[in-house]
Amino acid sequence: MVNEVASVISNYEIASNYWQAILKAPEISRMAKPGQFINILPIKNWPKMMRRPMSIASNEHENISIIYKVVGEGTQYISDWKEGSKVDIIGPLGNTWPEFNDEYPILIGGGVGIAPILYLQDKFSSEGIKHHLIMGAKTGSEHFLEHSPDDGLLLTTDDGTIGIKGTVIRALEAIFHTPSDIRNYRICACGPSPMLNAIKQFASDYSIECFVALETMMACGFGICQGCSIEREQNSDAGSSYRKKYSLACIDGPVFQTNEIKNC
Amino acid sequence: MLTKIELLNHTFKSPILVASGTFGYGDEVAGLIDVNQLGGIITKSVTLEPREGNAPPRIAETSAGMLNSIGLANLGVEKYCHTKLPQLNKLETKVIINIAGFGIDDYVKTLQILENHDGNHAGYEINISCPNVKSGGMQFGVDAVMTESLTSEMRKHTNKLLILKLSPNVTKIEDIAMAAEAGGADMISAINTVVGMGINIHNRKPVLNTVFGGLSGPAIKPIALANVHKIYKAVSVPIIGIGGISTAEDVIEFIMAGADLVQVGTSNFKDPSIGLKITKGLEPLCKTLEVTNIHDLKGTLEYY
Ligand SMILES: Cc1cc2nc3c(=O)[nH]c(=O)nc-3n(C[C@H](O)[C@H](O)[C@H](O)COP(=O)(O)OP(=O)(O)OC[C@H]3O[C@@H](n4cnc5c(N)ncnc54)[C@H](O)[C@@H]3O)c2cc1C
Ligand SMILES: Cc1cc2nc3c(=O)[nH]c(=O)nc-3n(C[C@H](O)[C@H](O)[C@H](O)COP(=O)(O)O)c2cc1C
Ligand code: FES
Repeated sequence: MVNEVASVISNYEIASNYWQAILKAPEISRMAKPGQFINILPIKNWPKMMRRPMSIASNEHENISIIYKVVGEGTQYISDWKEGSKVDIIGPLGNTWPEFNDEYPILIGGGVGIAPILYLQDKFSSEGIKHHLIMGAKTGSEHFLEHSPDDGLLLTTDDGTIGIKGTVIRALEAIFHTPSDIRNYRICACGPSPMLNAIKQFASDYSIECFVALETMMACGFGICQGCSIEREQNSDAGSSYRKKYSLACIDGPVFQTNEIKNC
Repeated sequence: MLTKIELLNHTFKSPILVASGTFGYGDEVAGLIDVNQLGGIITKSVTLEPREGNAPPRIAETSAGMLNSIGLANLGVEKYCHTKLPQLNKLETKVIINIAGFGIDDYVKTLQILENHDGNHAGYEINISCPNVKSGGMQFGVDAVMTESLTSEMRKHTNKLLILKLSPNVTKIEDIAMAAEAGGADMISAINTVVGMGINIHNRKPVLNTVFGGLSGPAIKPIALANVHKIYKAVSVPIIGIGGISTAEDVIEFIMAGADLVQVGTSNFKDPSIGLKITKGLEPLCKTLEVTNIHDLKGTLEYY
C-alpha cells in the first residue's frame, strides 16, 4: 500500500453515466492484483472526511483505470478530472479473487460492479483461460461491451433493449440450461447487493462455488477505523472474539466467498 | 526545535499525537508515513476480552465530520501484548496505550496485564466513555465519583503516565477533570466524540445501527476547544486537546486555550500524513507568533 500522486491520462464517459478514468500510477500498478481497490481524494481540498473507494478495472504499463458512475459530490469531482490532473490515491487495498486451478470462471458484473470483474477477465484472457462474462444493466445505453454469446459474453438489460431481457440470473440460467461437460463452475461477481444476494442463492441452489466483491462505507480503507464490518455466516460461538463474527471489508475483503457471509 | 515539548520527564518530538481508533497500532500505516516523526501514537482502545464491535452500519459522513459506533472492536489485551506490543516497542516515538473497560476490575486487570509485559510505552490513556456495567450502565465519564475511584485505583498499578480521556457529553466537564486530577491522573485528554445521530429519509432508518453514535472531525472543533479551555481553568495537570484538528492553526488554538499537546483523529482518514504535514506547518507559525518554543503559547489566550 502506498499513497501515490497519480496523473490522469484520460477520463471520459464510456456509456450513459458510466465513466472510465485511466491513471498513471506506477507504484500501485506494480503491486495491484484483480479485486483490489484504491481510495481516492476526489479533489485537493476535499471537504468531506472520507476518501472515495473505487475498484481497479484494469492494470497495464504503469496505468490503472477505474470505471465509475456519478452518484454524488465525490464522483462529480472525479468526472471533472482533466488529462494531466494530479490526483491523490492510496492503494492497492484489499484482498484479491481466489486462485483458479481447473475451475471454470463465470464472471458477473452488475452496473459499475463490472469494474473489478474486467480486471479479472483481463487476467483470464491474457492467460488464455476460457470463461463466461455476464454484465447486467438497466438499459442498453448503459452497456459499453458487445453482446456476443458465441464468445461467452452475455449482456442483460432490465428492459430488453440489448442482450437477454431480465437480470443477470436469466443469463446464468441460460448457461446452466445449455448442455455442457463443465462441472466445476466458479462464479465471481460484483454489483448491487440485491443482485449479489440473488447470485448467492443461485450458487447455493446449484452447489457452485461463488465469490463476491462487496462495497460498504469505508473511512480508512486499510483496517484502522473498523467501520466497514461485514457479518459472517459462522458466528454461533463468537462469545468474545475479534473478526470472527464481523470481517472488515477493506482488509478481509472486498472479496468474500458467499458461504462465509450472511448477506451481500 | 520550536516544536519539541518537554513534559513530565518525557520529550515529545512534536505536540502532535494521533488519536485512539484513528491510527490503529502504527503498523497498518507503515507504508504511508514515518510514524517516528510524530509526537506520539495513542493506540486503539484495548479491552480485557476481545470484542467484535457493533452491527453495521458503523460509520456515516456528516457535514465536516463523521459519526461512528464501532463498539470498541479490538483484539483483546492478551493478543495485544503478544502481537502489537513487540512492534510498538520498536517505535521511536511516544506510545500511549488506550484502555477501555466495563467495570473498575476490567480496567485494572487490563492495566496489570500490560504492566506485566515488557513495554516501552510512555503511559496509558483511559477511555472513560464506556458504560459501567455494575452501575446500571452509566458511563464512567459522566460521574465525578466514578471517575475519581477509577483513576485512583489505576494509579496504584502504574508509574507510567496515566491520562484520563474525558467525554464532552456531560453537564460540567470541569468536575470530571478535577475528579481525575484528585484521583492522581498525570494528564487529561479531551475530548472524545460528541453524541450525534443521522437519518436516511428514504428508508427512515438511522444512519448508524446503534441509532446514536459519536460525532468527530472539524464539526466538533469549537466544542472541543471550549471544553479544553474549561478544563484548563479548573485543573493544573497538563492537557491533551482533541477534536477536529486538521491544520497547524487549529493546533495553536488548542494550545492557546490551554492544551500542552494535541491529538489528530478523524483527519487521518482523509490524509494519513496529516499529522506530519501539520507538524511542518507549526515551525513557520511559531516564528510568525514570535515564540522560541510552541509550549510558550500554552494558555496565552487574552480575554476582552
Ligand atoms: C471497495 C469498493 C469499491 C468500489 N468500487 C467502485 C467502482 O469501481 N465504481 C463505482 O462507481 N463505485 C465504486 N464504489 C462505490 C463508490 O465508492 C461510491 O459510489 C462513492 O464513494 C460515492 O461517492 P459520492 O461522493 O459521489 O457520493 P455520495 O454523495 O457520498 O453518496 C452517494 C452514494 O454512494 C454511497 N457511498 C458513499 N461513500 C461511500 C463509500 N465510501 N463506500 C461505499 N459507498 C459509498 C452512499 O451510500 C450513497 O448511496 C466502491 C466502493 C467500495 C467500498
Ligand atoms: C472511527 C473512530 C474510532 C474511535 N475509536 C476510539 C477508541 O477506540 N477509543 C477512544 O478513546 N477514542 C476513540 N475515538 C475518538 C477519537 O480518539 C477522538 O477522541 C475523537 O474522534 C475526536 O477527535 P477528531 O475530531 O480529531 O477525530 C474514535 C474516533 C473515530 C472517528
Ligand atoms: S475502512 Fe476502515 S477498517 Fe475498513
